Amino acid sequence: MSSAMSLTAIGLVVLATIGIGLFGLRISRTTSDFYVASRAVTPRWNASAISGEYLSAASFLGVAGLVLVNGADMLWFSVGYTVGYLMLLVLVAAPLRRSGAYTLPDFAETRFESAVVRRICSGLVVGIGTLYLLPQLHGAGLTVQTVTGAPPDVGAAVVAVIVVFNVAAGGMRSITFVQAFQYWLKLTALATPIFVILIAWRSGDHPAGVLQSLQGAASEWSEPLSRAGGRDHPLYATYSLLLALCFGTMGLPHVLVRFYTNPDGRAARRTTVVVLALLGLFYLFPPMYAVLGRTFAPDLVSAGADTVVLELPNRILPGTAGDLLGALVAAGAFAAFLSTSSGLTVAIAGVTDQDLFRSRLHRWTGGDYVAVNSFRIAAVLSMTVPYLAFLVTGSLSLADTVGLAFAVAASTFCPLLVLGIWWRRMSTTGAAAGLVVGGVAASAAALINVLGGPDGGWPKALVGQPAAWTMPLAFITVIVVSKLTPDKIPAGAARSMVRLHTPEAVDVDRGLPSR
Amino acid sequence: MSDTRPAGDPDLTTYRDVQLSPDFSDLRRRFRRFVFPMTALFLVWYFLYVLLAAYAPGFMSHKVGGNINVALLFGLGQFVSTFAITMIYVRWADRRIDPDAERMRHQIEGEPK
Repeated sequence: MSSAMSLTAIGLVVLATIGIGLFGLRISRTTSDFYVASRAVTPRWNASAISGEYLSAASFLGVAGLVLVNGADMLWFSVGYTVGYLMLLVLVAAPLRRSGAYTLPDFAETRFESAVVRRICSGLVVGIGTLYLLPQLHGAGLTVQTVTGAPPDVGAAVVAVIVVFNVAAGGMRSITFVQAFQYWLKLTALATPIFVILIAWRSGDHPAGVLQSLQGAASEWSEPLSRAGGRDHPLYATYSLLLALCFGTMGLPHVLVRFYTNPDGRAARRTTVVVLALLGLFYLFPPMYAVLGRTFAPDLVSAGADTVVLELPNRILPGTAGDLLGALVAAGAFAAFLSTSSGLTVAIAGVTDQDLFRSRLHRWTGGDYVAVNSFRIAAVLSMTVPYLAFLVTGSLSLADTVGLAFAVAASTFCPLLVLGIWWRRMSTTGAAAGLVVGGVAASAAALINVLGGPDGGWPKALVGQPAAWTMPLAFITVIVVSKLTPDKIPAGAARSMVRLHTPEAVDVDRGLPSR
Repeated sequence: MSDTRPAGDPDLTTYRDVQLSPDFSDLRRRFRRFVFPMTALFLVWYFLYVLLAAYAPGFMSHKVGGNINVALLFGLGQFVSTFAITMIYVRWADRRIDPDAERMRHQIEGEPK
């Protein structure tokens, strides 16, 4: 692979990101600028931006890698990543918009009138965000290593520094346009090589026997629930994965806030339709890389499957064409790391700043600080923790790790949102208990996995895909504890219910309760 | 309407009024009746596909014509059905929820304060 060309392409993406970040600094001075500006954005642009922020290293590199190794079952990743948005739309999007809460901790505080529940939610946002950032850094390290042979620390450090710089400068997030552009860049980068390869084959110069070898591709690999790649209990694992992805999206810190960028509920629904279409379109391509990789890069199955998207163009089309396509794919991959990491870092930094950091800073300095600096320090911290985690973890599967972040979200924020919105008798104690039980169980499973995990059999299946047991556990905890503590139902529950379920046009007070 | 509310926080009574009004509970019930069964149906359809693929390979690999088998049709059907459900929901919400919501708004805002 020509490293010069790929490095140039990556460099262009990085420069464009920094440039627009600096530009964003000049035109957006307050957080409200972001919302006000975005409200003029059409559903189509907004949907591109949501998709651009959402498609991460896991989607761009990880899904193809998993399908390459484990076969047909892994196609559910692309289905689940998409369907999560439908669940978000029908179950929580509209009521949450009406609650007037911009973040999950805000929602928890308005609904449950408890600083403790809010604090737990803030901790979970940081945890889920960190777990989600970790594979982004691994993806960046892997990409730079594949392109140049440099150690993985280099790529990860580059992404970490750029993201922190941009977030601290206040750019990036403010520009819906950048995220929208990143979606189309990612789609182009992934789709173009496939089309070029197909056109090259149609014009006659396909390698001898390629079609036969595609059709005869290892039969176990193409069978569903076949345990290909050494995954035991595939039926359980598939169901658990589907649950995590379907119900986890609604609890991802960087996803929810995007729904406020629509002017009204109607536009929010339109936006979701377009998001589903855009994500569906994107996810057509990773499986194609996996199928082609099975034939042209079988060595990657045992070593470095996550690099298949990066390696394939050059393996199939040697020479300048392959180099150019390889450079394009590397650029697309960097767009994926940068856009998702920026969104996550903004979300984590916001929560860290507001709920965990500012009051302490105030105490330490006796009030002698500037609010913006507190956010900047929080942004640096938000990336430092995942970077340290990156240094101590060995290679891990990108899509699997992101799947674990979904599992934690599905076991904590999903019960909080779904029951909190639809069940008036949910008590504050029930909410706290559910968050703690689901959060501890799912995070423990995630942690064990990231650090190595059990070798096989049921322990591996249960820890590798925890959602099928941690999510019901959290729901049951909330319901049982709420029934046991009816005196802890928040006094304003009736008011919250009206606020959540009457249409936005009705003039009820949606502000946070004054305290 | 004459003001028969008990003394106390006037805002809170408005909220209670809305919460207790038949229109509000009707709106909420209608929303729940549509959204929850649809979510369940849709999950069952996904989970069923996984089961069929695992335990009815004969049926799934039944050739419908050419290289096209049942599994392929069902798989594409999942994409189509996901999209169809989204469209149905969006149309339903536009037609059945928004107008009633608007009516409720006029009722509440038309009330003397």
